[in-house]
Amino acid sequence: MNARCITVLKPGLETTVQELPGRIGYLEQGFPVSGPFDKWSFRQANLLAGNPRDTAALECQFLGPTLRFDCDATVAVTGADMRPKLDGEPAAMWRSLPVRAGQVLELAAAYSGARGYVAVSGGIDTPVVLGSRAVFHMARVGGQALARDQVLPLGPPPSGAGDILAVPEASRPPFSTDKTWQIEALAGPNDDWLDPASVEMFFSADWSVQAKSNRTGIRLSGPQFAFAGRALDKSSDHGQDPSNIIDHGYPLGAVNLAGQTPIILVNDAPSTGGFINPFTVASAAFWKLAQAKPGDVLRFRRIDREEAGRLRAALETVTSAGVAVRV
Amino acid sequence: MLHDTLRFFPGGDRAVEVELGDGMDFTLNFTVHRLVAAVREAGIAAIEDIIPELASLQINYDPDRISYEDLTRAIAAIYEEMGSDVSGSLPSRLVTLPVCYFDEETTACIEDYRKTYPDKRFDPDLLCELNGLADRAALARRHSGTEYWVAALGFWPGLCSLLPLRPGSRITAPKYNPPRTWTPKGAVGIGGALCCVYPDRTPGGYQLIGRCPAPIYDGTQRLPAFRDSLALLRAGDRVRFRPVTAEECAWIDAEVAAGRYEHDVVEYQIFSVDRYLDWVKAHGEKA
Repeated sequence: MNARCITVLKPGLETTVQELPGRIGYLEQGFPVSGPFDKWSFRQANLLAGNPRDTAALECQFLGPTLRFDCDATVAVTGADMRPKLDGEPAAMWRSLPVRAGQVLELAAAYSGARGYVAVSGGIDTPVVLGSRAVFHMARVGGQALARDQVLPLGPPPSGAGDILAVPEASRPPFSTDKTWQIEALAGPNDDWLDPASVEMFFSADWSVQAKSNRTGIRLSGPQFAFAGRALDKSSDHGQDPSNIIDHGYPLGAVNLAGQTPIILVNDAPSTGGFINPFTVASAAFWKLAQAKPGDVLRFRRIDREEAGRLRAALETVTSAGVAVRV
Repeated sequence: MLHDTLRFFPGGDRAVEVELGDGMDFTLNFTVHRLVAAVREAGIAAIEDIIPELASLQINYDPDRISYEDLTRAIAAIYEEMGSDVSGSLPSRLVTLPVCYFDEETTACIEDYRKTYPDKRFDPDLLCELNGLADRAALARRHSGTEYWVAALGFWPGLCSLLPLRPGSRITAPKYNPPRTWTPKGAVGIGGALCCVYPDRTPGGYQLIGRCPAPIYDGTQRLPAFRDSLALLRAGDRVRFRPVTAEECAWIDAEVAAGRYEHDVVEYQIFSVDRYLDWVKAHGEKA
C-alpha cells in the first residue's frame, strides 16, 4: 500500500490547507490567525470524514481542485456547491464518501456560495508552523496555495472510521438563495468616530460585495459615511483623514473604514493599522462572509453581546459530533 | 498623554480594545507594554492573544470562559495595582540596520506610483519640505541620527513601528492616499511620526526614503538571526540605521542571498527608562 497521501491534479483557485483554531498567540508579531473562513462547513466536513472537527482540511475558493487519492480514505465535501464528481460521477455533498486508492475527486466552479471544504480521514498532515497547519497564502506562512502535482500527506486514519454519516439539511449552513445576506454585527470599537446618523445608516443600507475581496478582507460598496467630532478634531498623530486613528489592533470581523471604503477584516487580515473600526461582525456570522459572492448584498443587523453569545451557542450545537448521523 | 483611567471599547464578541491615552510617544507606549506584561503575569486563561500598540492594546478572549464585564474589571484592577510611574530598567537589544538612502528600487517604486498619480510629490522632497530640511543629505542625517524604540509589530508579519528616541529627531509625513499596491521588500518608510521597514513586498502607505538590505523577516529561518523567530525585531528592542553606499548594499544583498549575512545585534545592554527620561529632560523636550 502507498503512503497515505493525495496528489493535486488541478489546484483550483487558491485552495489552501486550513486548521482550527488557527495561529493563536502570534498576532503581536503581525501574524494573522488564519484558519477556515466558514467554520461551520469546515467542522461538518471533518465530522463526516471521521475526524475531530478541528483537523486540517482543504478550503477551496470559487473554483475547486481536482485531487487523486493515493490510498483508501473517507472524504467529505461541504460548503459551496462545487458540483463534486468522483471518477466523473456526481458525488453527494454533506455525507461521508468512501474512496479507494486511485480515485479522482473533481470540484468545479461554485454554483452556490463561494468556499467549499474537503476533509479527508486522518486530516492533511503538512508541517505545523507557529503552532498551526493553517496557511496564510499571501505571506507564505504554513505553506502556500496548492500547486499542480503537489503531494499532500495524510495523517493516520482515525479509529472507528468508515461509518457513512450525513448532516441533515436542517443542520447545514443556510445559504442565501436571493443574493442577500443578513449579517449580525455589533457597534464598536470606534462607532463614536462616526456621526450617529451614519451609525444608523450602516445598519439600514444595502452593502454590495466588491470583486476585490479575499481572505484578507471583504470590500463593500455603499453610501458615504459622515464623521463625529472625535474624527474631525484630533491630534495630528492620528493622521489627516477622518478615518485615520493612531495605529491600533484590528479585531477579527471588524468593519474597517479606510477613507469611505468599508473592508470587513477576515481570517488573513492585517493585525493592526491606522484606520477606525466602527463595527464588528459577530463571530457566529463570519461563515456568511465566506459564502457571499462578489455582487451579493449584505444587510447588517445590530445585535448585542448577549445575542452574539446565543448565536455562538447555536453554532456550537450544529458543529458538534452528534450532528453527523448514520445513514 | 495618558487618560486618567483605561477606556474599553468592545470589538465584537471576542475582542476588546483597551485605550491608555492619546498620542504617539515613548512614555505612553512604554506604559502599554508594562500593562501587557502585567496582564500576561496575571495568567488569565481565557485570553488568547494580546496586541500591544502605540497607545492601546487589543485583547482577544474566549467569551465562553470569561465575560466582557469580568475581563475589563480584571484589566482595570491590574492597571490600578501597577501604578502610573514610568520607571525601571529592561533588557533591550540594539539592532543596527544598514540603509541605502534614495536607492534605485524605492525610487523606481515612487516613479511607478507617479505614473498613475502624477501630482504625488517625490517622497524625499515632500519630507524635506514638511520637516524644514534643506536637502536629501539633511533628511538622511536626521533619520540616521537617532536610536528608535520598537513600539509595536503588526499589519504584516514582522512589520515594526519605530519611534525616534532622540528629542528633535521626529520626521512626520502624511500617508499615501490612495495607498501603493506594492512596496519593495526592505523599503524604509515614514508615516505619521513613525518609521517602518517593510518586511516583504506588500502594499503600503508610508513615504519611502531608502532600502534596508538586511531582512527583518525570514519565513524560511535561513539566516542565523532568525534561529528562534521568523521576525527579527520585538517590542522593546532599539534600532539604529547605518547609512551604506549602493556598493555595500549590493554586497549585503549577496551575503543574504548566500545565507551568510549576520545581523548586527547587541544583546548585553539594559535600557534605563529613568536615565532616558532624565536625558530627554536635559535636552529640553518632552519624550
